[in-house]
Amino acid sequence: MRIRDTERVSHAIQVLKGARSLDGLVDRIYDITEGSLALDRATLHRIARGHTQVARAIDTPEDCIRLYFALMIVGCEEGLPAASVVEEGHAVLTGFVGEPLAGLIFRDLSGTLPKLRDRAALKEYLEEGVRVWLPK
Amino acid sequence: MAAEVIRNAPSSVESFTLLAFEERLRSHLESRLQIRTRFADLGSTRAFLVSPADRERPKGLVIDARTGAAERIYLYVHTAAHIALGHNMPLITIVEGDDETASDGLRHDQADGLARAMWWRRGSPEMVASLPTVQRSRLLRPLLERGATRSVLHLALRGMRAVFYGSGLARIAGNGTVTTWLRQALAATAVVDAAPQLAER
Repeated sequence: MRIRDTERVSHAIQVLKGARSLDGLVDRIYDITEGSLALDRATLHRIARGHTQVARAIDTPEDCIRLYFALMIVGCEEGLPAASVVEEGHAVLTGFVGEPLAGLIFRDLSGTLPKLRDRAALKEYLEEGVRVWLPK
Repeated sequence: MAAEVIRNAPSSVESFTLLAFEERLRSHLESRLQIRTRFADLGSTRAFLVSPADRERPKGLVIDARTGAAERIYLYVHTAAHIALGHNMPLITIVEGDDETASDGLRHDQADGLARAMWWRRGSPEMVASLPTVQRSRLLRPLLERGATRSVLHLALRGMRAVFYGSGLARIAGNGTVTTWLRQALAATAVVDAAPQLAER
């Protein structure tokens, strides 16, 4: 997967990870996605620092969506406001899959979000999203 | 959520009959419609259903942990109706909450219409088997259709249950017809009390 706007994606990851270290972030993403992301530590570090456009380990839109959900769950866990979690999550997804597909995926969240007012409900939605997008 | 749902106060004591119906319906959703249910604190949201891109994969239903058994039964029937109507599209999360958009409102109204039919035993055979048999009663439906008679019926049934169990008649009658009818009528009334749209036309 070729990342568009590496700087924006890097910024989004830095915001969503909150106070966690990059290693802590990778560990948590592995937990959330039940090890289904073939993302190695070094590549995530490079993406988070905006040092690479190529994320070979993330090959499919499904991988990107799982990463998008996982990063937003981390954002919720870090206590970020729901609006920031959503904004930065959208930026990550757009950076990975491009706006047309990100817009399609994001439309569900933007339609759903007004009803999931608080962060706890948003986190539950994201966790369920990861579950249904986990590989068989 | 469509029309209205009356939230029951959280209660540590739930009717065993209601809980048994709820369990049967939840199993039905899982085995026939591939819906996995879990409970979480959702704040002002009652429930939501997330559908995967692959229709062969399980859907995820998350229900607010503070809902009572009667309300959960309604949510299961309502969700089954959404699915029967094909509302469970990938990447379209169905949210059951207090506020809804115009398009949501239409879908929830449609689902409630079908849920009402399913509740009165016109659903799939498996769904029908999960519901209280007392719903075939021609007496119960008209009494449950109006708020006033519904309230009176609920009170009367609760009173009858108190007398029946308090006097020891229930022990003597065991699981006879009267005991079963009373238990099921109370359970059905409790569900319609929580979700009057199941009865009102």
